[in-house]
Amino acid sequence: MEAHTTELPVRQAPKRRLPDLGGRSEGAVSRLLIAPGQLLMLFIVAFPAAVAIYIGFTEWTPTSGDNVWGAYHYWHWFDGYWEALRSGGFWHSVWLTLLITVVCVGVEFLLGFLLALLFLKEFRGRGLLTLFFLLPMMVVPAVSGFIFFMLFQVDGPVNQGLTAILPGGVIHVHWLDDPSLAKWSVMTVDIWQWTPLMFLILLSGLVALPEDQMNQARILGASFWHQFRYLILPMMKPIILIALIIRAIETFKLFDSAFLLTGGGPGDATQTISVYLYRQVIINARWGYASAVAIIILIFVSAAGAFAVRPIEQAQEETLEGLVGGEEQVAAQRVEEAIAAEARI
Amino acid sequence: MLQAWPKRIGRWLAILLLGGCFGFPLYWTLTMAFKPEDEWNPPGKVFWWPGHWTVSNFTNILGIQGETSIFATGRSKSALTPIEHSLIAAGLGTLLALAVGVFAAYGIARFRAGGRMLPFQILQLRMFPPIAIIIPLLFMWVYLGLWDTLQGLIILYAAVTFPFVVWLMRSFFQEVPREVSEAAIVDGCTQWGAFFKAVLPQAKGGLAATALFVFILNWSDFLIALVMTQDHAKTAPVYLQSLQSGASGQEYGNQAALAMILIMPPAIFGLAIQRYLVRGLTFGAIKR
Repeated sequence: MEAHTTELPVRQAPKRRLPDLGGRSEGAVSRLLIAPGQLLMLFIVAFPAAVAIYIGFTEWTPTSGDNVWGAYHYWHWFDGYWEALRSGGFWHSVWLTLLITVVCVGVEFLLGFLLALLFLKEFRGRGLLTLFFLLPMMVVPAVSGFIFFMLFQVDGPVNQGLTAILPGGVIHVHWLDDPSLAKWSVMTVDIWQWTPLMFLILLSGLVALPEDQMNQARILGASFWHQFRYLILPMMKPIILIALIIRAIETFKLFDSAFLLTGGGPGDATQTISVYLYRQVIINARWGYASAVAIIILIFVSAAGAFAVRPIEQAQEETLEGLVGGEEQVAAQRVEEAIAAEARI
Repeated sequence: MLQAWPKRIGRWLAILLLGGCFGFPLYWTLTMAFKPEDEWNPPGKVFWWPGHWTVSNFTNILGIQGETSIFATGRSKSALTPIEHSLIAAGLGTLLALAVGVFAAYGIARFRAGGRMLPFQILQLRMFPPIAIIIPLLFMWVYLGLWDTLQGLIILYAAVTFPFVVWLMRSFFQEVPREVSEAAIVDGCTQWGAFFKAVLPQAKGGLAATALFVFILNWSDFLIALVMTQDHAKTAPVYLQSLQSGASGQEYGNQAALAMILIMPPAIFGLAIQRYLVRGLTFGAIKR
């Protein structure tokens, strides 16, 4: 601990130039540190965005004879945008995606919360069972799509199982071919795969709740519902918010399970926004139109993202019984440590 | 004690029911991987348990010669090459994302480089549906000759998982006290020396967890590989899907065998870094 004496002056005067032997100044170092990252973002975001805006004003397709740079021959200003905003297919996929997002995130939250409450108290085999319930989350999405493709076949195990359990005749539900059922089958995959994440997040929140207050409430005779309503929910709010937002962001992008289970069909019954874009580009080869749609989506997501980022930002700053913590908390800790260290000397 | 019993039974019933629902899909796939062909999907009948256990599904899909190997005769390409592609693309993509992201994370955590908004701009990247970003990239990749190459896939994987590296490593670097690097600098290190010799070793565990986490993400990708590759760089998830639409009918057993192989790395890594999964998937917002 001899380092303490040499360390102190630095802490007291952090703004002073550090005695760096041959090292670079903080400003230069910090710029150098983030330069590769910024370059990557420029390469992967700025340039493609420029290309997409350009192509979005045209009707260009790769089959039209010209290459990308000649796309201005097919210039038609905002026609692609108007077409998208007026097209039933586009709005159908927007509403479908929103429906899937709301239903999936809602069900995942309820199931995840139920599981977390069931696992709150210690019991035999709790650790192993927790791992068991986390497994679906680790499954490669392409694999979970394949798994449910098997399960949902007309003569597959789900129908056979229902036939065995339920009274009456043989059950032949067309899980994947029925336009009104297919989207629920797709949602099942998402719920199966991602309820474990909700469970994990909410469990880590519940475990960290202050036990004293909970016990106090119990001794004072609060019913479980009241504990839940007035104690657990308010304290869990930041975590619940983050969990919902993260899942909503991911579900809004849903592609894999819809594509693998039904290919977006039958018809456009499971054509989420991502599947819609995929079909426009790969199947219809309407690159100009798809770019316009992509720009609309990007604008929409950016606007929604401005709202979504705030709670995450707040969570980074808020202090909730040491459960959620960010820079500010670390900084505060550091201040305390610093004061304590100085008091020692 | 008497009151506790109905409660305990109720909890166990609920856990059993939910466990059955969540466990069955995996159970079905696991047993399917060991079923012989006539038990995959016989009409009007269902094999809840393999009647005759076999490993031929695994030998088939991996192209190992055997008496029942349809892939050896009917199909020249086994799953080995796609698996190899997946390993290379996910592995190198992870390394590249780390190489770029770790420095950026340190810059943001230690020097607040790029201002307060940079981390959130990086986070917003994750909100865009990947396909919307991939469309313009598809032009670029075709133009640059990166389409259907492993190099192109590696760059894309790095770019897509880079935000996760930044957010995760930032949260790990914030846990290393500032004094660590300051002491190293006082001891005569440069800023870089302080980073490599003092700070990074302290965040070693976090670095390993981040690496595994990002590898899982890359390994799990389907959409990017689907759009950006064809024959030369096809990854295992896309290969799995191509079997599904194959003209030779359903190949549940072979697919299930490949599915089990694909599940293994994420399952093992995921359980290994279970502590950090929440942190990773919530962009470091929840640190437990």
